[in-house]
Amino acid sequence: MPEYTVALAGNPNTGKTTIFNDLTGASQHTGNWPGKTVERKAGIWKHGEDVFHIVDLPGAYSLSSFSAEEVIARDFIVEAKPDAVIVVVDATNLERNLYLALQILEMTPWVILALNMMDAAQSQRLQIDIETLSQQLGVPVIPMTARAGKGLDRLKEALSDMVVAAQRPAAPKQARHTPPMRYSPPIEAAIERIIKVLRQHQALRDRYPLRWLALKLLQEDETCLAKVKAVADSEKILDVAHREAERLRQLFHEDVDTLIADERYTWIHHLVDQVVQGRRQGPTLSDRVDVVVTHPVAGLLIFLGVMWVIFKLSTDVAAPLVDWIDRFVNGHFAHWVTELLALAHLHDTWVASLIIDGVLAGVGGVLVFVPVLMFLYMGMAIMEDSGYMARAAFVMDRYMRKLGLHGKSFVPLVLGFGCNVPAIYATRTLESRSDRILTGMLVPFMSCGARLPVYVLIATIFFPRYATVAVLAMYLLGVVMALLVGLLLRRTIFKHSEESALLIEVPAYRMPTVRNVWTEMWQRTRSFLEGAATIIMSVSIIIWLFMAIPVEGDGSFAHTPVDDSAFAHLAGAISPVFEPLGFGNWENTSALISGFIAKEVVVSTLAQVYHAPQAASAEVEDVGFFLQAKEALVDLVQAIVDTLKSIPAIIGINLLPSETDSEPPALMTAIRQGFEESSGGYGTLAALAFMVYVLLYSPCVATMAAQRQELGIRWMWLSIAIQLMLGWIAAFLVFQGGKMLFF
Amino acid sequence: MLHAILHEIQTSPVPLTVSELSRRLNIQSSALQGMLQFWVQKGRLTMDDAPGGGVEIRVCEGRTCFRSCPGPTHCPLQSRSFNAYSLKWS
Repeated sequence: MPEYTVALAGNPNTGKTTIFNDLTGASQHTGNWPGKTVERKAGIWKHGEDVFHIVDLPGAYSLSSFSAEEVIARDFIVEAKPDAVIVVVDATNLERNLYLALQILEMTPWVILALNMMDAAQSQRLQIDIETLSQQLGVPVIPMTARAGKGLDRLKEALSDMVVAAQRPAAPKQARHTPPMRYSPPIEAAIERIIKVLRQHQALRDRYPLRWLALKLLQEDETCLAKVKAVADSEKILDVAHREAERLRQLFHEDVDTLIADERYTWIHHLVDQVVQGRRQGPTLSDRVDVVVTHPVAGLLIFLGVMWVIFKLSTDVAAPLVDWIDRFVNGHFAHWVTELLALAHLHDTWVASLIIDGVLAGVGGVLVFVPVLMFLYMGMAIMEDSGYMARAAFVMDRYMRKLGLHGKSFVPLVLGFGCNVPAIYATRTLESRSDRILTGMLVPFMSCGARLPVYVLIATIFFPRYATVAVLAMYLLGVVMALLVGLLLRRTIFKHSEESALLIEVPAYRMPTVRNVWTEMWQRTRSFLEGAATIIMSVSIIIWLFMAIPVEGDGSFAHTPVDDSAFAHLAGAISPVFEPLGFGNWENTSALISGFIAKEVVVSTLAQVYHAPQAASAEVEDVGFFLQAKEALVDLVQAIVDTLKSIPAIIGINLLPSETDSEPPALMTAIRQGFEESSGGYGTLAALAFMVYVLLYSPCVATMAAQRQELGIRWMWLSIAIQLMLGWIAAFLVFQGGKMLFF
Repeated sequence: MLHAILHEIQTSPVPLTVSELSRRLNIQSSALQGMLQFWVQKGRLTMDDAPGGGVEIRVCEGRTCFRSCPGPTHCPLQSRSFNAYSLKWS
């Protein structure tokens, strides 16, 4: 019973496994390649009396020695000398797939080209001249659509014919095999000279295809050099190979490996031009869309439009849900907690104060903004999943370059919109240290997700009708500031920098999937909630502790007016710094101090220091837990309905009743009063200045630590100094300039 | 052909996209990917497929406050990025 070995080779994702499964059926067995962790699959196909052992080689793009898969595939074809090799190629990606096929054809003449995915090629209107392709390669070419079972019989037939032909005495031997492609004369001459000395060694002659081995020696392939070295009297071969490689290097001023690859790619390119009709010449629909989306001006306007929609979702559309959480946390939930504390005889104790005024006011104050972040993260996820984010970065990159920033700087800067910490670490992708430092110093100006709740809170209080514009303006101001500071630093401290050319691989446009968008949105929101459960709660408790300690008056621990607390005095000592900016009271100052730790804490601190819990929980009617829970649930359903009704507001259609008569929450009223008092009646200007300051001063200790680690302590301090200074100056200009201009 | 890629990247006054380069050189996009990989393997291009990838955040190491930070590789707040190739200057 004749037995044959057949290797199945191909690029990844060419349908190789489908063909393997079709050929071998249930006779498969798997294991690992000797000494490797790469899976080895083999099976049997019986054809009459003949038994074919089919070995599925690992998917590879070439047969160099860059990866374990490539080495396995190469060694198997050379060492095991299969009776035939089926090379599976994707008909829609012929130019790329033929590179591997050509390399295999340099090793053995017993090759069948399985031209798979012909259905996809036809749907792309590609017409492939099978006959010419077969003639040019010198091997049978079988058109197939493996997943539909088309072409499999012809492949089996061709395989059977090939192994029979290979057994004939007149069949070409592998050692003397001449592949279809000829290199340029200097390379061919070098190959010939090496083959001449190789022929003198029986061991090599019997074992390897000589032309292939000569090529590998010329390319100075380390594996092949070692194999030749192991043979006795191989010095002359190595000497000739080395001299020939050196000669070609001097002739072309390039290493031989590159020369050979270049000629292969060129040969394949011309072959594909010859055999494939209907190849894309003009731009595709995606390319045409990109002309507009990545246009320097139109692209920027589209980007601004997209950002506006996202912030509209985060502010106006999220508002009913924000209001519901506010009502729930400060209403029903606070009421239940108060009741529980009363049941435990803990009301009016420091424990009650800690839970109500510390944890609930602090963490609850931030949780209210979870819908805001969810909508922001949803917008970002849609931008990423659709492929738009890469285009937006591409558009912004042009402007960064014009201002002298490194082309690759945009990657960390874009990441900064999510979180500044990983963005600082992403500066490692920049090769020059000065570029790394410069970019690392600009990242904090990118407004991270943690700053959004502050903008939304302040904008909702002071600019309710223009909240979206105000929030968008903060993000843009951050970008503008980064560009201006970058320009300034580039012209002063970082004068010498080498501009690097850049090639960006933008993904194809695609419809975002609900699953992907939800996963991204939920992972990011969960990360925020984890932060709320750890850092925000910790800071809230610390702040409560300082607020509970009396430093004047008759109060006792946890029973002292907040103005008499240690926290009020501590923050009050610093607050004069912010008086020229309009928000120099101790309450706002305390929020900025805690914001040094993390920006999420700004809102929780404002909620704590301006907190009025009695008013909120007093609104809850005492009708029993279950009725209250039902009430909260009905309220939630209404909030969801209102959220959906808010969506048309993006395009100016308002389906919700006007809320001009509704009472603002107690916290908002308290914050407004605080700003009005601290600014001498210019509360709106002070609030705007406060937002600008929150945007520009140091984002969090984690970012500072990342800067220290990546840029060094000196640059970290300089960065902090620039942020504090710039934040103060910008807020001063907004407040004082606003007063001069408008009042 | 391989050198044409480097030349186009080097001489372009603005960053190029792979599809734009593919159109300029009339090379199938997938084939161009293979050629770019070749230059990456030869060390003439560098590829950033995951900015900050593999780098572990050691901010406030040992302190509870930032222990939950999973590092840039798994950071959910890091935007999903894209591949960028740049010329490596020798």
